[in-house]
Amino acid sequence: MIEREVEIINKLGLHARAAARLVKVSSNFYSEIKITRNDRTINAKSIMGVMMLAAGKGSFVTLIADGVDERLAIEELTMLIKNRFGEPE
Amino acid sequence: MTTISLQGVGVSRGIAIGKVHIIERNQQDIVELHLDDKMIEQEIARFRIAVSLARQQLRSAREHIPQDTPDDISAFIDTHLLMLNDTTLTKEPISLIREHKCNAEWALKLQRDCLIAVFDEMDDPYLRTRKDDVDHVVQRIQRILLDQGLKPHETPDSRLHDYIVLADDLTPADTVLMQHQGIAAFLTEHGGPTSHTAILARSLGIPSIVGLRRALRYVHEDDQLIVDANEGVVLINPGEAILSHYRQRHIEQVRYNANLIRIKEAPAITLDGVEIILQANIELQNDYETVKKVGAKGVGLYRTEYLYMNREYPPDEEEHYQTYCKVMQVLGDIPVTLRTLDLGADKTIDDGHDTPPLASNPALGLRGIRLCLKEPKLLEPQLRAILRASAKGPLRMMIPMLSNLQEVRQVLSILAGIKQEFLQKGIPFNPDLKVGGMIEVPVAAICADKFAQILDFLSIGTNDLIQYSIAIDRVNDEVNYLYDPLHPAILKLIHMTIKAGQQHNTPVAMCGEMAGDVKFVRLLLGLGLREFSVHPASLLEIKRIINESRIAELEERAMAILDASDSIQSNQLLEQLNS
Repeated sequence: MIEREVEIINKLGLHARAAARLVKVSSNFYSEIKITRNDRTINAKSIMGVMMLAAGKGSFVTLIADGVDERLAIEELTMLIKNRFGEPE
Repeated sequence: MTTISLQGVGVSRGIAIGKVHIIERNQQDIVELHLDDKMIEQEIARFRIAVSLARQQLRSAREHIPQDTPDDISAFIDTHLLMLNDTTLTKEPISLIREHKCNAEWALKLQRDCLIAVFDEMDDPYLRTRKDDVDHVVQRIQRILLDQGLKPHETPDSRLHDYIVLADDLTPADTVLMQHQGIAAFLTEHGGPTSHTAILARSLGIPSIVGLRRALRYVHEDDQLIVDANEGVVLINPGEAILSHYRQRHIEQVRYNANLIRIKEAPAITLDGVEIILQANIELQNDYETVKKVGAKGVGLYRTEYLYMNREYPPDEEEHYQTYCKVMQVLGDIPVTLRTLDLGADKTIDDGHDTPPLASNPALGLRGIRLCLKEPKLLEPQLRAILRASAKGPLRMMIPMLSNLQEVRQVLSILAGIKQEFLQKGIPFNPDLKVGGMIEVPVAAICADKFAQILDFLSIGTNDLIQYSIAIDRVNDEVNYLYDPLHPAILKLIHMTIKAGQQHNTPVAMCGEMAGDVKFVRLLLGLGLREFSVHPASLLEIKRIINESRIAELEERAMAILDASDSIQSNQLLEQLNS
């Protein structure tokens, strides 16, 4: 199991489209992937879960992956968040 | 029966008369039933079928999306599809049916309220409004459960032909699905001029009014309505006299539009022989076709924002280059004025809802050229591509949101550097590429003479100029009654800019909504404007007015409007000018 803390830096935070992208990327992995913020832990493969994390810009989330491809999963998800989900700001 | 009239914002011109079909989403009447044990499994099956029908509807919407639909519309449909596959919506209600022995509608409502409560507690205003997405999806299932939903196989639904559609708000999927159904007009309670409904209605040439507050309280299914989108007015169950008046106007309009196409090839020239440059704005890719259809002789504003929307990474130089070459090729080598990236403010969050502002005031924040100069990786590939494309056809570039000369100099120096590099590498470009700037920040209008000296042309963006000058947020319903293109100060800023251009022999165009509003054409001609860039859908109408005007008669009267003391007087004077 791997954990990593990442800051949400895109302007709109984990809004619907960003959440959708995160869920799509997470769903490509065999690992179980969870995200924790403020004591709330959700399944990263569930869009409602991700949206309800209410992670706005500047909030920190912890990615937790557990499974055969956990390392790759954490790397890709970190990249996605750091690239602001492909949004311009 | 008295006629009730409602006022909204007309976002796509035209008149429509017909019966109304209401798409109701909020406060659906949910019947709460307790079920016998033996009914439970049947109820669960009913719920499962509803969810799967909802998925089919969205998939079908996804398939019916025309290729030229903006990416963000399809992205919303994808998001809603993901939500329909989420256990919180597909499994939780089933547990609730079992637990409470209740009907599916009730269980779904319980689950919805539970989800919405979480969203309501969020601090971030943008994330908080995302509960709209939950509601859109939940209501889609509810409508099927209540058997109000359109069956997926019935789309396009011929029942809606010639109907006026009224909704509190239309989802992107609704708008896409309804676009080929022969709908007479779109009306919504919410939304602004930049909502999906507005953009699509304009592209399709269907009359549309948004912001009709509380319309659903006054309008009932199958009521007869008159929609006058030119004035933003809806009349409910009008009397015979009003009806026949509007029928006449509707016929005139149809005839007028049919006649308009005849002046497609005619030049835009006034009765006293002044030639006017009349060009089109391009906002979406489907506008290309309209631009050709109305015979526009040039594109005065080619917005490039859509290239950046909804993607993992900003486009690279090659993608920019290919897109621009294709635009010029499709349009057949008419001059194209390309505006460099103008993202920021409202444009990143255009989802068709009245979203509360994000930053305390994004319109005054990092947007347009400010963002581009701060993030060279957004601007440089675009500038390189523009230079390369300039070798292929008559292309000009225009810088948005300028507020001082330093910004112009910075862009020019980046351009000079690229030109130097291209010369060394032997990459072809037009060394005489014209660079212009948008005049939309009040300080730029006041100092327009300085801008006119270092830029090749100026273009007045009225939407922002008005919002910044009057200090009103256009999407804020509480203050947008103050939005007034006729305000003497606005007219003075426009006039100053035009005069500054004349003084330095720098052409001045106008590409904001004001230029495309038939009411203002004569006034602007009188103020000295000789270049208009308008939405292609209104280009021929503007040309007709130009061709029927005599500038010598307009100048003095336009100056009188500039001097009006209040809006009652300026409106009166404007009416006289147009009569």
